[in-house]
Order: sequence, then C-alpha cells, then structure tokens
Amino acid sequence: MIHRRKFLSSITAASVTGPALLATPRSALAEAAERASAFVKSVGDKLVAVVNNPGSTSEKRVAMSQIINAAVDVDGIGRFCLGRFWRQCSEEQQKQYLELFHEVLITNITSKLGEYRGVTFTMGRSRPQDEEAAVSTVVMRPNNPPTAVDWIISNPATNPKIIDVVAEGTSLRLTQRSDYASYLAHNSNNVDALITAMRQQVSPKG
Amino acid sequence: MPSVPRALHSFVGAKRSLFGATLPWALAGMLAIVLASCATPPPPDDPDAVADFKQTNDPLEPTNRVFYAINNGIDTVILRPAAVAYRFVVPGVMRQGIHNVLGNLATPVQLTNDMLEGKPRRAGDTAMRMVINTTVGVFGIFDVARKWGYPDHDADFGMTLANWGVPEGPFLFLPVLGPTDPRDAIGFGVNIVLDPFTWVGAPHDTGLTVFHWTRYALTAVDARERVLDSLDQIKKTALDPYATFRSLYRQHRHGQIDDLRNDKRATVPAWFPQPKATEAQ
Repeated sequence: MIHRRKFLSSITAASVTGPALLATPRSALAEAAERASAFVKSVGDKLVAVVNNPGSTSEKRVAMSQIINAAVDVDGIGRFCLGRFWRQCSEEQQKQYLELFHEVLITNITSKLGEYRGVTFTMGRSRPQDEEAAVSTVVMRPNNPPTAVDWIISNPATNPKIIDVVAEGTSLRLTQRSDYASYLAHNSNNVDALITAMRQQVSPKG
Repeated sequence: MPSVPRALHSFVGAKRSLFGATLPWALAGMLAIVLASCATPPPPDDPDAVADFKQTNDPLEPTNRVFYAINNGIDTVILRPAAVAYRFVVPGVMRQGIHNVLGNLATPVQLTNDMLEGKPRRAGDTAMRMVINTTVGVFGIFDVARKWGYPDHDADFGMTLANWGVPEGPFLFLPVLGPTDPRDAIGFGVNIVLDPFTWVGAPHDTGLTVFHWTRYALTAVDARERVLDSLDQIKKTALDPYATFRSLYRQHRHGQIDDLRNDKRATVPAWFPQPKATEAQ
C-alpha cells in the first residue's frame, strides 16, 4: 500500500513540476543549438576563406593553426584518442604526446588543403545532445559529390569548441583512436613507441 | 525460356575460367590459413585490454592482415594506376556521366532491396529515378531525377539483412572484396543473384560477356577513382592503415544503416490529410 501511495504521489509531483521543469531546459537547449550553429558558421567561413585564398602553404598553415587552436578542443580530442592509455602515461609523456598531437592534426589538415580549393558549405540543422550539440553541414567541392559533415560542439552555450567532425558517418576522433589503439597493441602498449612514430610523422622527411 | 540454373552456370563458368581449377585449392588453402591463425586474446586479468579486444571484434586479424597486404599489393600494381590513368584520360564531366550510368544499371537491385527493407518511400524514389534517368536522363547519363526531388540513397542486401536484425559478425578482409563482415559478404553474393542482368540473355553470348566484364571493370575503376585522394591521404597519415580502414568501414556501414532505419517518411499521398506524427520529427 505504502508503495503504491508513494508511487502515486511521485506521479502527481512529477505532473505538477514536470512542465515547469521542462520549460526552461528546452528553451536553453534551443538557444544552445542556435549558438552552436552560429559558431560552426563563423569557424567554417574562416576556414573556407583560408582554403580559397591565394598564398603560400606555410602562410596557410599558420592561419589554419590559429583557427584550429582557437576553435577546436585539440587537447580534449588528443586525450580521447589515447583512450585508456592516457591514465597510464607519465606527465612527461602526456605533455609530449599532446604537443605532437597538435602538430599531427595541423599537418594532416594542411596537407589536404590543395584538395579543398573552391570549397563551399551550407548549414543544416543543429541538434542538442546532453552537454553537446551536433551541427549538420553539407560540404561541396568542385568535381566531388556533396559530403554530409556533422560538427560536434562541446559546451555550446558557454564556451563552444569543436570536439569531433563526422564526415558521412565516420568520426574523426573515433578513427584516430582506433588507429592509435591498434598501433599500441602491436607495439606492446608502449606509449613511447607511439610518441616516436608521431614524431616521425611530423618531421619534414616523413 | 532461358533456364535459371543455366544462367547461373554461365555466371559461375565465367568466374571459373578466370581462376581455373586452382579455385578449390585456393579456397582450401584460405581455410587452412584462417584456421591456423586466429588473434590471441589478451590475458583475462587485464579487463581494459579484454574490452578493447571485444570492441575491435576482429578475431581473424592475422589472416585479415595477410589479405589486406595482398589486396594492397594488387591495388598498388593494378587498380590504383588504372584509376590514375582513368582520371588523367577521361574528363571529369564524362566520368560523372559514366558513374551515373553505372548507378542507373544498379537501380533494379537497389529497388529490390528497398522493398525487402520495407521502405516504400525509398522504393518509390528508386523507381522514379530508374524511369526518369533511363528516359529523360538518356540511359542514366544525366541524373535528372535528383534535381526533380528524387535523391539517391544506398541500398544493398547487407543493409537489408541489418534491417532484419541480422548481426554483422566479426570483421573480415577478403581478397578482391576488401573490408567486409559475414553479413556484407553474404549481401554481396545475394546482390549478384538479385541483379536481373545476371540472368538475361543466352549463356556464352559474347556480347553479354563483354557487357558484364566491362561493367565490372568500369565499376571497380570508377569506385577506386572516387577515393583516390582519400586513400592516398589515409595511407600517408595513419600509423596503422589496416586498423584505420577497419574503423572507417564499420562506421560508414553503421551510418548507412542508421540512415535507413531513421528514414520513416510517411507513405500517405500528398492529397490525403497528413498524420501528425511526421510533424513531430
């Protein structure tokens, strides 16, 4: 009996407070989604401007890394990509790894710049997800089919940062994480081996 | 009436003439390698490593890597140069036209799968695409239907099986076929059976054989040309390209299957009062 009464009273309580509670978060969520959308638009415009502007590769690299460092949570993505090995690292290893991760990311992106000449994009809808927001865009490149790209934004209302890019259903950080996990699995889970490999990747020879 | 078994025989015959009598031996050898080399699971006292192993879901990894290496070799020597030459020789507009024709030839299989998936709106899109692009689009050269509001989508028997609830199974890397899983490998075979072009015409008809192999070869070169830059980029930047391809393949398939499952467009005709449920989406 007590059980049922408790249950009933909790239902009544929920039905009274429910709408009031729901009202505020929903509008806040909508606002967060709008802000995330505006953020992606402004970052996207900046990136497109750099890609399509004439200029040497090194100039573009500098401009790119400025935009990326301001708009992307590179440290967060880096920690995510190392997965369970992050906790096992020494502080020195963590520091070295993150520094290299920044460089690897920027090198990978700038090496693609040539392919992206003449790129444009259109904004799609923005969906709030917990603390994050997913903003859809369609990226168009000359002589290429349009690509659906989703941008995952953390803390969209307060301090928006890009934490993932999902192109045609494939997530940048998940792919990178599986690459590192597999490399570590085949190098006796030694993070120093990974750091050496990353260093080779960003060295001008590699 | 061209008998079905005869047509199947001719199809298998075409494959047999390519591989000759070595095919059974090759299959036996493959089986031996598969059985001989399974990935060693991590010790059970390392729960993180065990979780990783399960998530990777690639128990045949050593064998898969052998086939990855073989495929990669074949790609470097044959397919990639062919794709580079194709891009160099054939202008972009013509390549797009060829891509559209190949896509149009694949619409019967797409339509069958749309229906098997229980997606009438997708089936409607495909049927309209087939009719419009074959006629107004001149044998599928121009994708007029897309501009008229019938966009393309992916449909194959692997996706159909997924929609029916068949699990994907462990990762596989097969010769020629590349990254796949048991569900998609079966899907690949069933797609060939579902293709009306597999069954038309008399067996050993020279014109038909030429058509089939031209279509296969063009499909392969067209598909390879479209990922030329992406594959080069992955091979250059990934520390372990095999693991990267494995991850990308799975994510891409999951994305296609999610799109399929989330396509809940109503089938109510436009002139009929629309159900409210569609507005909530």
